Amino acid sequence: MNHRMNRWARIAPVAVLGVSLAVTGCAAPGGQATAATKPDTGPINIASISPQSGQFSSLGAWELKGVKLAVAEVNAAGGINGRKLEISVMDDQGDPTVATNLARKAVSDGAVFVFGSAMSGNTLAMAPILAGAKIPEITSGSSPKLATTGSKFLFLNSPPSTVFDQTLANYLVDTKAYKSIAMISNNGSYGKGEHDAFLAALAAKGVTPVANQVVTPDQKDFSSALTSIGQKKPQVLFIGAEEVESGLIAKQARQLGITAIIAGGAPLGTPVYLNTAGVKVAEGSIVSTPYLGNDTDAKTIKFAADYQKAYGEAPEFHGAKAYDGAEIVIKALLATNGAGGAKLAEAIRAVKYVGLVGTFAFDQTGIGVHATTIAIITNGKQIAVK
Amino acid sequence: MQIFLQTLIGGIGFGAIYALVALGFTLVYRTMGLVNFAHGDIAMVGAYIATTFYISTKLPFAVAMASAIICTAVVGLVIERVLRPLENKDFDLMLIGTIGFGIVLEALAALIWGATGSAVPSPVGTQPIHILGIYIPKYDLVIIAVAAVATVVLWLFLDRTKRGIAMQAVAMDHEEATAIGVHVGNSNAIAFAIGAGLAALAGGLAGPVLYVSPTLTASLGIKGFAAAILGGFGNIKGAIVGGLAFGILDAFAAGQFQGYSELVTFVAFAAVVIVRPTGIFGESTVNRA
Repeated sequence: MNHRMNRWARIAPVAVLGVSLAVTGCAAPGGQATAATKPDTGPINIASISPQSGQFSSLGAWELKGVKLAVAEVNAAGGINGRKLEISVMDDQGDPTVATNLARKAVSDGAVFVFGSAMSGNTLAMAPILAGAKIPEITSGSSPKLATTGSKFLFLNSPPSTVFDQTLANYLVDTKAYKSIAMISNNGSYGKGEHDAFLAALAAKGVTPVANQVVTPDQKDFSSALTSIGQKKPQVLFIGAEEVESGLIAKQARQLGITAIIAGGAPLGTPVYLNTAGVKVAEGSIVSTPYLGNDTDAKTIKFAADYQKAYGEAPEFHGAKAYDGAEIVIKALLATNGAGGAKLAEAIRAVKYVGLVGTFAFDQTGIGVHATTIAIITNGKQIAVK
Repeated sequence: MQIFLQTLIGGIGFGAIYALVALGFTLVYRTMGLVNFAHGDIAMVGAYIATTFYISTKLPFAVAMASAIICTAVVGLVIERVLRPLENKDFDLMLIGTIGFGIVLEALAALIWGATGSAVPSPVGTQPIHILGIYIPKYDLVIIAVAAVATVVLWLFLDRTKRGIAMQAVAMDHEEATAIGVHVGNSNAIAFAIGAGLAALAGGLAGPVLYVSPTLTASLGIKGFAAAILGGFGNIKGAIVGGLAFGILDAFAAGQFQGYSELVTFVAFAAVVIVRPTGIFGESTVNRA
């Protein structure tokens, strides 16, 4: 940070500009290094590492809102045996390299626990560093790869995509008897997970997709991929991509005359998908999700009301699972009396908790929730299929 | 055949946007010999302003776009005014200055509009035109038409107006232009303002086909810059051809190489530039740096 500032400041004629640049542009990954908090006294330092800027920033924003809500509640109720929880918010910009650096920073800052990242790829990048430092983390990612790291410190606050896609394949093939299914997915960490999981689920049922197109996470024009899909006239179009890209694919698919039912995992249940695709295009989309909506039971109704009060907007799946993750960590911290390390990881694994996105019972791989339900988007809302 | 034509149409739609971005890069480079690295950020800010006027204040799309163009033209004037003391003296520092402004704009956009971004509904409806088995999105036609009109207007301005010809004179030799009474500073200011306006036009037009967020900078800026180089940096015709060529190349690479399309696109781009370093319509007369 200081080096950077000096370098810019040397360029005298644009010094004013340069300094403001260093302050605004470089503040996010930097920040001052705080000494490691001593155990047993003072606030407990936890880090939140997620994309707060860039294409995936909505994921980070939801994640942080869910976590902050739970943390504010426990702090208002006296914290962990009198010690307050303090969140340091770090922006990984959706970039695994930045995430890795921030994980190191969280270690040197003496964080007891890390929330993040909201992206599978970034979580995979951070996992070895945090496991080495014995700092447990809960990720909002859902790539099945997350369960194969062998880390005892990595936990998932939602089912992995294998569960999403197995449930979806069961519904599409067994319940609805669709045979002509086309796939489009990106080759990013999340999309690749969706691609492999859905393909495997279909293969187990003896169904081969009529088309299987792969795009890049940054792609904007899907004409070519969608036209070859359109020629197969599929009954169902499975999309394995993040929120914005899923929305763009759905929108362009309709513009190219593809009338197939759109199906996919959690991204399709978010307002970002709904807005990007447009309510008309999103209508009838089949979503596999553990979180059906804000009025499913007493727990979600209370959560939705608190969330609305805190942020002035209705929550969705990502905020809900982040809240669940935070609740679990708080329970574990209460059990260890604020201690971190392997003790905290064991405590997290021991938590049995009925949350907003399902019943949590962590196995050795770090997966807590093992089921999703099927919903259909109707008038912009997810309606559960009976 | 259907796939070929459909891919071509998709490529042209995005190519027209890249062409507009490339035009802005080119105009500033042509007049000042400067690569404006804030160009992509100005496009992003333009897209946000257009979106704000269009969605929040419910102005018609064309009015929202015009407002965005005016606002960003002012941003362009501010950038040029701040950098003016360096003009014709130190181009390296000017380059760094534009990078700095880019980062400032990105940070400002995140402050004002948040980092989440927003989706923009199409102003002409989403029902495509269906002919011969090909679907042509109506909005793609709007993009192409607007890009064509912008190009013609810009060409007429540069070639048929006194001010435009004066700007060309500055581009050729700023000292001699000064000697015959052309105000170089004003000429540069106009170039910057028009360049910024073109960026806003590209960003605003991209809104309904993309998703307006701070990453629009990278989506438009990098490919627009590559398009300008492909066409021949500093050449108006080159910017248009380069933009369309890049869009089409990108679309076909996506079809053929799927997940590796990005890699293939830029390798192909690099190959062209190695064979023809000056780009398709390259000229060497505007090198003032």
